[in-house]
Amino acid sequence: MAETAAETPQAKRSPSDFIKQVIGLPVVVKLNSGTEYHGILSCLDGFMNIALEQADEIVDGKKEQHYNECFLRGNNVLYLSAAS
Amino acid sequence: MAAQLLPLELIDRSVGKKIWVIMKGDKELVGTLKGIDEFVNMVLEDVTEYEVTSAGKTKKQLKQILLNGNNVALLVHGRTPEDNESEAA
Repeated sequence: MAETAAETPQAKRSPSDFIKQVIGLPVVVKLNSGTEYHGILSCLDGFMNIALEQADEIVDGKKEQHYNECFLRGNNVLYLSAAS
Repeated sequence: MAAQLLPLELIDRSVGKKIWVIMKGDKELVGTLKGIDEFVNMVLEDVTEYEVTSAGKTKKQLKQILLNGNNVALLVHGRTPEDNESEAA
């Protein structure tokens, strides 16, 4: 029988499914330090290493830096959120 | 003998339900658990993030997040921090 549950809103969505879904979208990445990065997700892997484009670095709610491209090492990442 | 229940099976039962995640340090999250993997990384929806800082308790709403399992300390099913506060009052 074919698996059709993948697209229903109630479907179970594992971390690897989420990764596939958010690539290319605007995201917010929060690090353990509290620093946030708002940018376009170009890619990420199972370590939660993340490459962002057009990223704004936000420290204590204030924009500090802008990076056209940047890489975040996965061990620092607290969460990755799909920007609303 | 009672059937064994593995920790990850217990969490699997909470998929689709509201879960309270307590992190190492002063962070807590409440949200609907959409999925989990063997590292306890989680996909959460309609999340409230609570952070205890010197300035007080801050709340933040997030639609959908992938939470790194590295700093997760405790998972509570069927209760939220707000329930706790109303008990204390």
